[in-house]
Amino acid sequence: MLTPSASYRAPPERYDEMLGGDGRPRAHWEHLSGAINALGVDELLRRRAEAERVMEQDGAVYNAYGASARPGQPWRLDVLPAVLSSREWQGIESAVAERAELLGLVLEDLYGPRDLLRRGLLPPEVVFGHDGFLLACDGIRLPGERQLFCVGTDLGRDGSGRWVVIADRAQSPSGFGYALQNRTVVSRVLPSLVRDAGVHRLAPFFRTLRGALRDIAPPGVEDPRVVVLTPGPWNETAFEHAVLSSTLGYPLVEGSDLIAKGDGLWMRSLGALEPVHVVLRRVDGGWCDPLELRRDSQLGVPGLVEATRRGTVSVVNTLGSSILENPALMRFLPAIGRHLLGREPELPCVESWWCGLPAERAHVLERLDQLVLRPITAAAGSKSLFGAQLSQLELEDLRRRIEHRPSAWVAQDPVTLSSVPTLTDAGLLPRRCVLRTFAVAAAGSYAVMPGGLTRVAPDANGGGRISNQEGALSKDTWVLTSEPEREALSFSGPALASLDPMGGLSARAAENLWWLGRYAERAEAVTRLLRVMHDQRSELLGSGGDAGKRALATLGTALGAVTGAASAVPPDTGVLQRTLLVDDHLPGSVAHAVRAMLDAAYGVRDQLSSDTWLVVGSLDRQLLRLRTGGNGGGALSLSDAEARETLQRLMQGLLALGGLGEESMVRDLGWRFLDGGRRLERCLQVIALLRATLARTDGAAADPLVLEAVVASTESIIIYRRRYRAHAQVPDALELLLLDPGNPRSLAFGLDRLTRDLGALPARSDGRLRKDQQLVLRATTALALADHVALAVPDEDGERSGLAALLDELHDLLSRAADALEREQFVHRLPQQNLEGS
Amino acid sequence: MPVRYRVVHRTEYQYAAEVSASYSQLRMLPRDAPRQRCISAGVVVDPRPDHQREHVDYFGNRVEHVAIQHRHRRLHLTTSSVVEVDEAAGALPLLGDRSWEEVRDSVGVVPGPDAVAAVHFALDSALVRSGPDFAAYAQPSFTPGRSIVEAVCELTSRIHADFEFAPGETKTDTTPEEALKERHGVCQDFAHVGVACLRSLGLPARYVSGYMETDPPPGREKLVGADVSHAWFSVLMPGAGWLDVDPTNDQVVGGRYIVTAYGRDYQDIAPVSGVIYTRGYTKSLRVTVDVTALPAGAA
Repeated sequence: MLTPSASYRAPPERYDEMLGGDGRPRAHWEHLSGAINALGVDELLRRRAEAERVMEQDGAVYNAYGASARPGQPWRLDVLPAVLSSREWQGIESAVAERAELLGLVLEDLYGPRDLLRRGLLPPEVVFGHDGFLLACDGIRLPGERQLFCVGTDLGRDGSGRWVVIADRAQSPSGFGYALQNRTVVSRVLPSLVRDAGVHRLAPFFRTLRGALRDIAPPGVEDPRVVVLTPGPWNETAFEHAVLSSTLGYPLVEGSDLIAKGDGLWMRSLGALEPVHVVLRRVDGGWCDPLELRRDSQLGVPGLVEATRRGTVSVVNTLGSSILENPALMRFLPAIGRHLLGREPELPCVESWWCGLPAERAHVLERLDQLVLRPITAAAGSKSLFGAQLSQLELEDLRRRIEHRPSAWVAQDPVTLSSVPTLTDAGLLPRRCVLRTFAVAAAGSYAVMPGGLTRVAPDANGGGRISNQEGALSKDTWVLTSEPEREALSFSGPALASLDPMGGLSARAAENLWWLGRYAERAEAVTRLLRVMHDQRSELLGSGGDAGKRALATLGTALGAVTGAASAVPPDTGVLQRTLLVDDHLPGSVAHAVRAMLDAAYGVRDQLSSDTWLVVGSLDRQLLRLRTGGNGGGALSLSDAEARETLQRLMQGLLALGGLGEESMVRDLGWRFLDGGRRLERCLQVIALLRATLARTDGAAADPLVLEAVVASTESIIIYRRRYRAHAQVPDALELLLLDPGNPRSLAFGLDRLTRDLGALPARSDGRLRKDQQLVLRATTALALADHVALAVPDEDGERSGLAALLDELHDLLSRAADALEREQFVHRLPQQNLEGS
Repeated sequence: MPVRYRVVHRTEYQYAAEVSASYSQLRMLPRDAPRQRCISAGVVVDPRPDHQREHVDYFGNRVEHVAIQHRHRRLHLTTSSVVEVDEAAGALPLLGDRSWEEVRDSVGVVPGPDAVAAVHFALDSALVRSGPDFAAYAQPSFTPGRSIVEAVCELTSRIHADFEFAPGETKTDTTPEEALKERHGVCQDFAHVGVACLRSLGLPARYVSGYMETDPPPGREKLVGADVSHAWFSVLMPGAGWLDVDPTNDQVVGGRYIVTAYGRDYQDIAPVSGVIYTRGYTKSLRVTVDVTALPAGAA
């Protein structure tokens, strides 16, 4: 049998990354090729499955545009890396840095003197016709010489194996974080391979990036604060934003977390504003300020442009940087290079023609079926069009569009692209690939990430574009070292000591953590109650007789009361239970609580550990199953066994989440909100449950049955039986659930934890208790003064009015405490509207 | 002989509900222009802004950046300025006159200080896109070989004659296409139509906002607040400068006009633009403008 490498056939028309013209592995591939052979395809496929699991655990996804259903597409990685020799890389590295330098000079000129336009080196139509040229940002500069902070450059090989530039990414280049994730995963599933091959590590690059961000701060700022600005958890590269935030140790914020005030920019932190000096933006420039840029943007910060104009904050890349993504620029770059650098850039651009020039337009229209046509601005709404793939009719239409507005079109020669061995179910197959390199302005020049992100066409077809939107795979990209690196082996992230554990938490993150805690607890409480009712239903109906029926009715009422869904669903408890499990539009249902909990979790992705993602991802999938119905027959048709199974699995996930919150999170401010939300919600749930079940007696026969269910659903049945042994008594249950300081499910325990959590939040400046603390203190006092024996005695109507009054009072106090906290700590931004002109 | 004008421009917003924050940019301060000099100008904002700064935008216009970060129910903006206008300078720039085709063909080809602007203002902008309908409407005035000044003046007269001045029929976001189809609008719409016509012929054109002194009806005192903020358009004759024309009043822009801002269209230079945070809406918006000629020697 042939080894994987031996059966690999490189297509003759392309340069192959692994095999040379003689059909033998190139020198720098020998090690990997040997390792591939040693492992064999089956083992590689096993490693691939492992990699997929790790990606899933880490929540590594890429949300395709317009996809509303979560979870997003898993980030697709081919475990076989792409390999570059040290020598070849040196050439690429210096050429990529040179290109970044040149693009930076172009950027500086376009937002400054516009000498290139005046001298005719760049036609003004190319600049003014591109939606990335933001007039509002004219004249705004970054401190220091380099005006382009970072850039991604897509490279592909032509037929001769020479690298050419296909496109530049200067808006806010994506891929840094995915490249790091790829390396992390490959190192985990093929550890010895990475170790033995001698691969340049990525960590130093991220350290450089981290320092470069601080260095770009406005002059005079001693301890600059950096944030990563994201459009939000549903952006297609949200995972990467969180990776960057946690790798760099800078908080992840959304536009609504920031406020321009006075001359500066601030983060809405808890009860205070913290200064922000540097923004690494992952929001497109035009969306960053509704005051001066796109008025309809909800992702921006009004006044951000003005703050950059004043020089009090550095936004990188600068807001108008995407002008450099203009494909027409490539046509003029060689001449611009001669003018600005005194030489043509070392990296050739793909051969391009700008249709604004009559001679080039004529050339393009003649060869339309062989070229790649790109509108110069994304606003035109069309991607690259590959002439060879268009029908006669489509070509005619394209011709008309070009003739109508020639200056809006650029044509490029298609690039052959090299092939790279890619692992498929059928073994190693050649696939076309492009390499995205990354350069960052640092220490007086550009630092280039060793390697970058290699993307691979998903199949052997055609010559179309390779993009994540269209299902491309990615590869870890290895640059082999010529000598061992001296630095430590792994990148441990920022030194924890340098981070203020009480700082850097935005009010939005705090709010998400608070609701994550509250909804997790709510989901858990309802799940428990449903499970108990599910388990005891047949027993109560069968052997319980009348008392059993009465007990079941009381529990049904309790379920309605606890969830607040009593009036929304039919009285039949079976349907009620199903609905309360699966209907995520029904507030109070398990599905609704889990959905809300997950939304909160995705909003604070950077705050949660990777183990947490394992659990969150699994809950998300459970929920998806619920919505579609495990058996395909719709959610309400779940069989009893399926319902039970679902409850069980949800419970496992929720418990794991609770355990992680308890065991794997630093007790910082964020944790206080998470835990506080959980404690408060649990108190409210217990109060509602007791109020609906024990505030009146159902008679001597039914009471113990109800009691048992109540205690079971608060997860206190074992201690209850052990401690009291004898038949269930109401006073004992009340003691256990209200007053026992050692029972984590009791009110006393919950209030104690809540008090401590609230006490750790930022205090009032006058030292007095905040409103929420006062209310919790009143609740604690009222509870401490309660006499559980007296409360258990019913009056002649069967009511326990004293208990009812106490529970009502506690519920009222705690609800008000929650309101007070949510009002005072969180940001309540009113809807954004345009101020109409006169 | 230069004439001084005092311009007072009041804008009053009433909101239906509390506004928690307001961020705006005002382009209401007269700029310096070839035939005008701004002697003094200032904006008073009520409630008192938390932040107020001025800068000059891409087109050289003065922009007031105003942030109010406390609760308010109304917003009053009062701009007062004194501007000196040179009447004599308003004459036609006959020196730059040449055939309109010559101007068209020079765009993007002939170098010079105006070369970049010529291309910029010939391109489409957010509100004004060229198109065959505008070219067709303009064509009768742009006969082969005709002088650009004559052609533009005739186009201005035709817009004046063909379009009904109909306040309230159009809004600030009415498109030139709609105005052309309906044949009515206000000064903003007429200026947009003029710009669209010129761009559709490949000529560089801009939108101008400002004020105009008006006469009271014969035998009456001039009423306070009777003036309006105004808009017109102009065409660039590279090497010779801009020719400003007012289709609303069918005349070449002269001594009684005061320029506030230049832009590609209204969106570039709206007197007030910005965002507010509120659950309500703008209940009322009142604007009054007074343009008063000052006696010689007054300031």
